[in-house]
Amino acid sequence: MKILVCMKQVPQKDAPLKLNEQATWVREDVGYEVNEPDAYALEAALQLKEKNGGEVVVISAGPARAQQVLREALAKGADRAIHLEDDRFVTLDAFNIARSFAEAIKDESFDLVFTGLQSDDYGYAQTGVLLAELLGWAHATIIMQIEPKDGGIRVKRELESGFFQYVEMPLPSVLTIQSGINKLRYATLIGIKQAKNKPLRKVTYDEVAAALKPNQLTIEKLYVPVKTKQTEVITGAPGEVAKKLVAKLRDELRVL
Amino acid sequence: MIFRTPLEGIEHPEMEADVVIVGGGPAGMSCALRLSQLIDEHNAAHPDSALSKENIYVLEKGREIGMHSLSGALLDPRSMNELLPGWENEAPIESPVTSDSLYYMTRTAAFKAPITPPPMQDHGNYVISLNRFTKWLGGKVEEAGITVFSGFAGSELLYDGDRVAGVRTDDKGVDKNNQPKGNFEPGYDLKSKVTVLAEGPRGSLTKQLIARFDLLKDRNPQTFGVGVKELWELPEGRIKPGQVIYTMGWPLTTAEYGGAWIYGGKDNTVSLGFVTGLDYPDPRTDPQHVLQSFKQHPMVAKLLEGGKLVRYGAKTMPYGGWWSLPPLGGDGWMIVGDSAGFLNSQRLKGVHLAIKSGMLAAETAFAALIGGDSSAKALGEFQKKVDSSWIKQELYPVRNFHQGFEHGFLAGMLNTGLLMATGGHGLMNRYAGHPGHTRMLQLWDIMGHGGNREALTGPAKGDGKLTFDKLTDLYHSGTRHEEDQPAHLVVMDTDLCVTRCTKEYGNPCQFFCPANVYEMAEVEGGGKRLHLNPSNCVHCKTCDIMDPYQIINWVPPEGGGGPNYDGM
Repeated sequence: MKILVCMKQVPQKDAPLKLNEQATWVREDVGYEVNEPDAYALEAALQLKEKNGGEVVVISAGPARAQQVLREALAKGADRAIHLEDDRFVTLDAFNIARSFAEAIKDESFDLVFTGLQSDDYGYAQTGVLLAELLGWAHATIIMQIEPKDGGIRVKRELESGFFQYVEMPLPSVLTIQSGINKLRYATLIGIKQAKNKPLRKVTYDEVAAALKPNQLTIEKLYVPVKTKQTEVITGAPGEVAKKLVAKLRDELRVL
Repeated sequence: MIFRTPLEGIEHPEMEADVVIVGGGPAGMSCALRLSQLIDEHNAAHPDSALSKENIYVLEKGREIGMHSLSGALLDPRSMNELLPGWENEAPIESPVTSDSLYYMTRTAAFKAPITPPPMQDHGNYVISLNRFTKWLGGKVEEAGITVFSGFAGSELLYDGDRVAGVRTDDKGVDKNNQPKGNFEPGYDLKSKVTVLAEGPRGSLTKQLIARFDLLKDRNPQTFGVGVKELWELPEGRIKPGQVIYTMGWPLTTAEYGGAWIYGGKDNTVSLGFVTGLDYPDPRTDPQHVLQSFKQHPMVAKLLEGGKLVRYGAKTMPYGGWWSLPPLGGDGWMIVGDSAGFLNSQRLKGVHLAIKSGMLAAETAFAALIGGDSSAKALGEFQKKVDSSWIKQELYPVRNFHQGFEHGFLAGMLNTGLLMATGGHGLMNRYAGHPGHTRMLQLWDIMGHGGNREALTGPAKGDGKLTFDKLTDLYHSGTRHEEDQPAHLVVMDTDLCVTRCTKEYGNPCQFFCPANVYEMAEVEGGGKRLHLNPSNCVHCKTCDIMDPYQIINWVPPEGGGGPNYDGM
């Protein structure tokens, strides 16, 4: 099976975030790491490859720094990488990222595309689903298990309150993978060394620009929530308290 | 409690190496970069006998380069000018130093020294974030084609008889009971011709090496201080970039050694911290509390008012100076930077010496690779290079500086004057020194030393605005570890904690640890026992240094764990 894993570099969870000057996103000078759900998606892909053979390719869109995520994936066992390298990819919405990926892989033939269930920064949970739509493939979200079955696959989806759904799907398909479904492997020293010589194809912004459309989603403004909570304690006998409370709700807050 | 110990019966994959540098701080990275430069020069001049950089490695236990790097920091540019002329045009610098001043503090007042003493004058130096600086320097090393393995700690030295034959990296995926997990990866044996220890203060491999060969036997014992640091963002215009303030005195008394720094950075940030000498007498002394009290001084409180805490961290530094340096090179090994003790305690600076020591070690390693000889004789050349470099010119005249403070602040100041008048000689060429932990008094004895230590003993409470309790501060260190792993604070006798220590010293580990790793927990049915929170550890090494019984052995946890000193 030939599997593509979409991976994203996101600000570190514990990094102190500062807003950029336009207050539309965080400043560049934070620490970055791999989006956690994507790490599980990669692990799921590597385990499938180990069992059934095939190839694992990783793809990411972002500035030069995003290469770190791809290098780590190569060190853990991915076979090759595709880097859509440009600062402008950071400003694209999920639909345009999906369009970029679809364009970048149009000459490839994958059996499966994995993404993490959502990103730790924007949290849209859309890129994978939109990519499936663009490719015209089937898709399923919040996947916990994948097994080959009768030329297709059988997957386990997480539903709410402890319920699961088992679905049989054709190939090719796009799956968005749930976090925590497997134990992440460590990169080894020899893996890190070998990763240096694995193929990494770079795709420029211009190569995919024709496929893009204007963003349908833009961030107007980010701000740090200001604490405005005020607590007032009403005292007195129960009857009096009730009267005071009604008066407040009616006259001050006008909710009655 | 199960402690991290080497697993038995595990096969370790082997990799050949020419040079392994353990630790990716300023010393290790400068060593790697200088080595790369020498190889490039050699290969340009002798294309037929070109050397490869393929098998030169830097091990860094932090998840990423620079993540465990914490310092004030002021950088004396001397060594960087040698390593990379023009570096200041591209390195991340907060600001050149614009002014410096020294204050003597009492509880409510601050007396400014009419002139800043010459060793503390900082014109020409730079305020930097050591984290950002190290990240940048590490980037240079990687660009030069040297492999940095970040997220990998050196856990053991490999020996071939009395020769250091390389380094074993940490085992990954070991559970709380010291058993391999499903994703277990054994550490690698890096069989190396030359091993350079650049682990920072109290390096764990350096400690093994010093113990095995009794390297400090005719030296002064190393002495340390622990610097507790907070990074703040202040309202516009509160402090100028490059403004440098040192203080002495309160909240410390004349019985303790130490002082504070306040450095103005860019974007209205300020680096402030307090160094408490790890040779204090009162076992209840809490260095994190010392910093909190310092911030309540009217002068400091006014500076910080309306500001916001951004980051917190702590790190030890070696003060011992020239007489505490171990032999620097031996059969297969060299020791550089803070691991050896290259720090000028009178100038409160060590980064430039770390860099220079790394460069000189690189020159020695290069000669060893060319000559095919990394014996004690060949690597002993490193010592000679240091002796004939400006490192010795800088450290030798202040060789007796710190020892003078062993008898208190006033004696230290008198001695400093005497040393300056005699070219560092003082009353004798070499003053003795004592390990800091031996100066800790038992609870019974400290009672005679009077009170007035509330400002530096016991846990700080914190108001949540200006001052913080330890856990709040710790939250700002970004510390993260794999939870399911054995304790890496190897306490060799946990019974002693309750049978002797509680009575004699009152369990000082609870106080000196700036990260709340050590707690004395109530036991059902009365009594107490030691409880560890290893995941809190910020890798400062204070416990390994200051424990009065010397039964705490700090070993590296699973590589990749630890603080995240972003911007520190």
